[in-house]
Amino acid sequence: MRSTPRDINAVHDPAAATSRIQIRGLGKYFDELCVFDDIDLDVGSAEVVTLVGPSGCGKTTLLRCIDGLVAPSTGEVRIDGAPVVEPPEGVAVVFQHFGLFPWKTVFRNVAYGLRMAGVSRRAIAERVPAFIELVGLRGFENSYPYQLSGGMQQRAGLARALAVEPKVLLMDEPFGALDAQTREVLQFELLRIWDTRPTSMVFVTHSIDEAVLMGDRVVVLKGRPSTVHQVIDVDLARPRTRATTTDPRFHELREQVWNLVMSTPDDHNSVER
Amino acid sequence: MTTTTPTLGPAPAPAAARPVRRRRSSALLTYGASLLAGAAIWELAGHLIDPVFLVPFTDTVRRLGELVASGELPTALLASAQVFGAGLIIAVLVGLPAGLLLARVRFLRVGLEDWITGLYAMPMVALIPFILAIFGFGFTPKVIVVFLFAVFPVIITVYEGASSIPARHIEVARSFRARERHLWRDVVIPYTIPFAMTGIRLAIARALVGMIAAEFFLAVSGLGELILITSRRFDTAAVFATILVVCILGVLLLALGHALERRFAAWRGPS
Repeated sequence: MRSTPRDINAVHDPAAATSRIQIRGLGKYFDELCVFDDIDLDVGSAEVVTLVGPSGCGKTTLLRCIDGLVAPSTGEVRIDGAPVVEPPEGVAVVFQHFGLFPWKTVFRNVAYGLRMAGVSRRAIAERVPAFIELVGLRGFENSYPYQLSGGMQQRAGLARALAVEPKVLLMDEPFGALDAQTREVLQFELLRIWDTRPTSMVFVTHSIDEAVLMGDRVVVLKGRPSTVHQVIDVDLARPRTRATTTDPRFHELREQVWNLVMSTPDDHNSVER
Repeated sequence: MTTTTPTLGPAPAPAAARPVRRRRSSALLTYGASLLAGAAIWELAGHLIDPVFLVPFTDTVRRLGELVASGELPTALLASAQVFGAGLIIAVLVGLPAGLLLARVRFLRVGLEDWITGLYAMPMVALIPFILAIFGFGFTPKVIVVFLFAVFPVIITVYEGASSIPARHIEVARSFRARERHLWRDVVIPYTIPFAMTGIRLAIARALVGMIAAEFFLAVSGLGELILITSRRFDTAAVFATILVVCILGVLLLALGHALERRFAAWRGPS
C-alpha cells in the first residue's frame, strides 16, 4: 500500500480505521452469470454488519468468500490485513443448516473446532462445558443431533463457533430454518452472548427485523449483478433486548430498510424469486 | 432423558412403549408359527415323496444328531469356518480401504470404477477353473474364492457411501480448517461406517455361497465335501441335515450383520 495519508475508501467509511475485515472490489461469477460485483465493505473489530437483499442476490456466496470457502472471481478479502485464500484461523461460521455432524454427540460437536485448532484434550474438557452452558444446553452433552430440536441444534452450532473464541463470526442465515418463536428466542440469546464478548460479525439474513435488531449497520445488496445498494447505520443503543423492538426508532429503521429492499429503481424484476 | 426441553422440539411419545412391546411379542408369535409351519410342510412332503429325493424333517434332524455325535459335522464345520473366516476377513480388510480410496481419489475412481463393477457383475463361479489352474488345490485357492465372492459388495457399498457424503459436512469441516486427513477421521470414515456394515452383511451372505462353491469345485472339504459325499451315498437325510446347518449358519451370521449395522448406525436415529 502507498503511504498516502488517507485511502479513498477510508474517507467515506469510518469503520475502515479499525476494520478487521476489508472487502475490496469483490465479485463472483458462475460461468457467465455474475452474482455480485464490485463489493467494498469494511467491518470493525466489534461491529455487527448485517447483509440483506432479495433471494439470489449472493449474500450467502459473499459470506463464503469472506471465509475463503468460495474463491472470488475478482477483488479480495483481507482479515487483519492478510488476504483470505482459505478459511482463516480465528473465523467461525454458523450455518443455516446447523452443520452438526450427526455421528458426534453435542459435546464432541462443540469440541470439534477446538480439536481442529490443536487444543489439548484436557483444555477441551475444561472449555467445552462452559460453552455448552453458555448456550443453555447443559444436560444434553451426550445427545446426538437427531435427538434435539432445530433450535437446540443451532444452539450447539453456535457453541461450536464460539468455543474457538473467534475474532470474526460469520452467520449464514443462522435462524432461517427455525420456527418464528424459536428464532426470536435465539436472536435475544445471541445478542446477550455478543454483549459479553463483542466480535466482528457478518450476519446474513432474510429477515429485515433481524437485520435491524442485530446490526450496527445494515448493508442492502441489490441489482443484477448485485452491489452494495445502500448502507444504513443502526443507531439503536446496546445492549439490545426485547425492549429494542418496541422502540419507535426500530420501526423507522425497519421501514427504511424494507423500502430499500423492496423498491425497484434499477431493476424491473427484483420481486423475490 | 430426564431433562426438560426448553425449546419446542418433536414431542417424544412415552405412550408408545406398550404397543411396541405388544407388537414385538406378536412378531415373535408369527415367527414361531412360520417356523412350525415350514417344518410341518417339510415333514408332510417328506412322507409323500420318494426318500431318495426328500427326507422328512424329523429324519433330517435325527441324522443331524448322528452327524454331530460322530464328529463328522463338527470337523466339516471347522474346516469350512476357516475358509469362510479367512476369506471374509481379508475381503473386509481390503474392501474398506479400497472403497474409501475409490471415493476420495479421483484418479483411482476414473481408472478402476468400471473394472470393479464389471468384476462384481461377473458370476464368480466362472472364475473358479481359472483359480484352480493358477493356485491348484489347497487352502489358499479356497480362501481366494471366498474373498472374491465377498470383497465386491464391501468395496461398492463403502464407495457409494463415501461418495454420498453431503457437501455441507465437508464444508463445515473445511470452515474449521480441516485437511484431507482430518476429513477422513471426522467425516469420511464415521459417515461411511453404516454403509460399510451393510456391505459386510452382504459380504457374509456371498462368502457363504463362495465357501460352498470353493469346497465343491476345488479340493473338496468341509461342509461342501459333506454334502457331496453323502449325496453320492444317497444319504439324503445327511445332505438335508448339512444344508440345514448352512441355512441356520446363514441366518445367524446375517442376524449378526444386522446387529452390527444397527449398532454403528445409531446416530441416524430411529428410522
